[in-house]
Amino acid sequence: MASTQAGAGIGIANLPNQRHAIASKKGSALTMMIAGESGLGKTTFINTLFTTTIKAPKNHKRRFNKTTEKTVEIEIIRAELEEKQFNVKLSVIDTPGFGDYTNNRDSWMPIIDFIDDQHESYMRQDQQPKRQELSDMRVHCCLYFIRPTGHTLKPLDIEVMKRLGTRVNLIPVIAKADTMTPTDLHKFKKRILEVIAAQNIQCYTFPLESDDEASTKRNMSIMAAMPFSIIGSTDDVLTHDGRTVKGRQYSWGVAEVENEDHCDFKKLRQLLIRTHMLDLIHSTEETHYENYRRAQMETRKIGEPKVKTVTNPKWKEEEEALRKRFTEQVRLEENRFRSWEQQLIAERDRLNKDLEAEHSHIKALEAELESMQLGLSPKRK
Amino acid sequence: MSHPRRPGNRKNVKKGFQFTLMVVGASGLGRTTFINTLCDAEVVPKRECDEPEMAHIEEGIKIKPYTVELDEDGVKISLTVVDTPGFGDMIDNEYCFQEILGYLEQQYDDILSEESRIKRNRRFRDNRVHALLYFIAPTGHSLREIDIELMKRLSPRINIIPVIGKSDSLTPGELADFKKRVMEDIAHHKIPIYNFPYDPEEDDDETVEENSELRSLLPFALIGCEEEVTVNGRKVRGRQYPWGVVEVDNPQHCDFVKLRYALLSSHFQDLKEITHDYLYENYRTEKLSRSTDSASDNDSGEEDEHSRLKEEQFKKEEGKLKEIEDRVQRELKEKQQELWTKEQQLMSLEANQVQVQ
Repeated sequence: MASTQAGAGIGIANLPNQRHAIASKKGSALTMMIAGESGLGKTTFINTLFTTTIKAPKNHKRRFNKTTEKTVEIEIIRAELEEKQFNVKLSVIDTPGFGDYTNNRDSWMPIIDFIDDQHESYMRQDQQPKRQELSDMRVHCCLYFIRPTGHTLKPLDIEVMKRLGTRVNLIPVIAKADTMTPTDLHKFKKRILEVIAAQNIQCYTFPLESDDEASTKRNMSIMAAMPFSIIGSTDDVLTHDGRTVKGRQYSWGVAEVENEDHCDFKKLRQLLIRTHMLDLIHSTEETHYENYRRAQMETRKIGEPKVKTVTNPKWKEEEEALRKRFTEQVRLEENRFRSWEQQLIAERDRLNKDLEAEHSHIKALEAELESMQLGLSPKRK
Repeated sequence: MSHPRRPGNRKNVKKGFQFTLMVVGASGLGRTTFINTLCDAEVVPKRECDEPEMAHIEEGIKIKPYTVELDEDGVKISLTVVDTPGFGDMIDNEYCFQEILGYLEQQYDDILSEESRIKRNRRFRDNRVHALLYFIAPTGHSLREIDIELMKRLSPRINIIPVIGKSDSLTPGELADFKKRVMEDIAHHKIPIYNFPYDPEEDDDETVEENSELRSLLPFALIGCEEEVTVNGRKVRGRQYPWGVVEVDNPQHCDFVKLRYALLSSHFQDLKEITHDYLYENYRTEKLSRSTDSASDNDSGEEDEHSRLKEEQFKKEEGKLKEIEDRVQRELKEKQQELWTKEQQLMSLEANQVQVQ
């Protein structure tokens, strides 16, 4: 293989720049899911991460108008971010209602179904003859918010994380980390990692080795900080030494968001946006989507719809309504059949009567004929 | 009846008072630490986290009483704290309420049966629970479904005092808003909590002021800590964060001191009286006048059965109808055939006749 010298090259080295130009023009799309109980600072975190109000804070005046529907909803918030003329179409998937009820059994079903549905939808679109305009809502990463109990993961957390880890890039996050002292936090993180390992929960990992030393070191420090402890705040506060930072102001001090000694927010932001966003997108497409596709193709033919089990309690009401309508319609049809039956019976009776009449007529004619024949034959003799 | 009774009787002071307190809340809200902070000793051992392989197993709720002797300003108090580890930790928590309610009613039943004995035991130990501290998670939003359910179900049997656990995760502004919303929720759902009752006309000004102040602090913001740290040369009980130290005994930081004083000095007599004169009497009346059976079938279950039966009936009748239809059609066809053959015969006979003629 002939090699070209630097300076006398034919321009192959310019390929990355071409890719850069294409990528800059095309922009990128990121779909992120945030899951966890309410009151753990999910909305605040999203707004802090993107330094803008992606989602409005909860409106408490409406809480008494809530119906007693105990469901987990899927809420999709879309935003378009632009920085230095590079566009990112951001979709944030929120899961209000998860973990909030007394009985949370199967409350993870809507979330799992949503993730699978996105893979399914992409797969179907890919199999169409025309596949230019694909709408891709596959979830690239899922941040699971853990309550800062200081003890261990709850059974509900373990159930959900097990199911999420096999379908999406799962990043566990310790919410409201300013509740715990550094020693407590350290013990809690160790504990969570032990449980994750023992329960075989698959969390997001990325290749640590990189070309330059600095990146490798940074990658290792990011991995070591998992699960990330975060503090979220969109307010500017004044610290005791005069700096204005994003943080939370207590009577005993200010907890800063971007201070690495206080929380791992910076590391997480680096992971999500600065360094590994593309890896998140690619691993979703290459690993998780391929796994889903393989599993589906082993059991289904191309073009066949997916077998769905309706377990959403919300739909039970609709099922009831449909069933009532069905019985109503059956009743109507039955009445129609009855009247039709009556008609047929009447028709049959009438025909029978006609038949009888014809019969008697025929008999009369036959009798006449016979008599005539009898009359004839003696004549012949 | 509601003004606090200062222990002046020497005999009582020597014998001491007995008080039972139950602490309920999800794990990780600082219940155990609070109990140890309240008694200034490690009464409840720290939770031993089990094997990571067993972390997905849901243990049920357990009820564990601990008794400790306290000395408050020279007054001996025999304090029994009932801890409830495992509450709210399972995926389905419906069962927890019944467990706690069963325990409370069990104590009432014991007293009831003891009272009705011919020869009563003088040394009978009164295990009725006088107050329940319910730990609310510091979400910053409002009460969750499990909070409302528990308080609704237990308030007919016990004095409930709602408190906010780990309140050092809320800034002062957030804490004030949260307290307001929690009290709004409690009023909206009409939950009768213990709110330091006073009578503006009957009681003296001091009592009114004291009780209204305590009422305004509801739900109490609590922080628990057993370790001591040094702040400005003083040794205090507190939590050391990188950004500052939260002091447990500082009324600016949390309401621990006020709650402790209310529970162990000023209001425990009131709580005991309400438990005995009101809650226990209600229970007694209800139990003694309860009729045996309460048969209430699940109506909706019946309806379901009904509609399913009807569906089956309809299906059968549909089948029958189809059969009848087919039969009628067949008979029609047969008759038509007959008619036709007879017609043919007729025609041939007619033809014959014409021929003959």
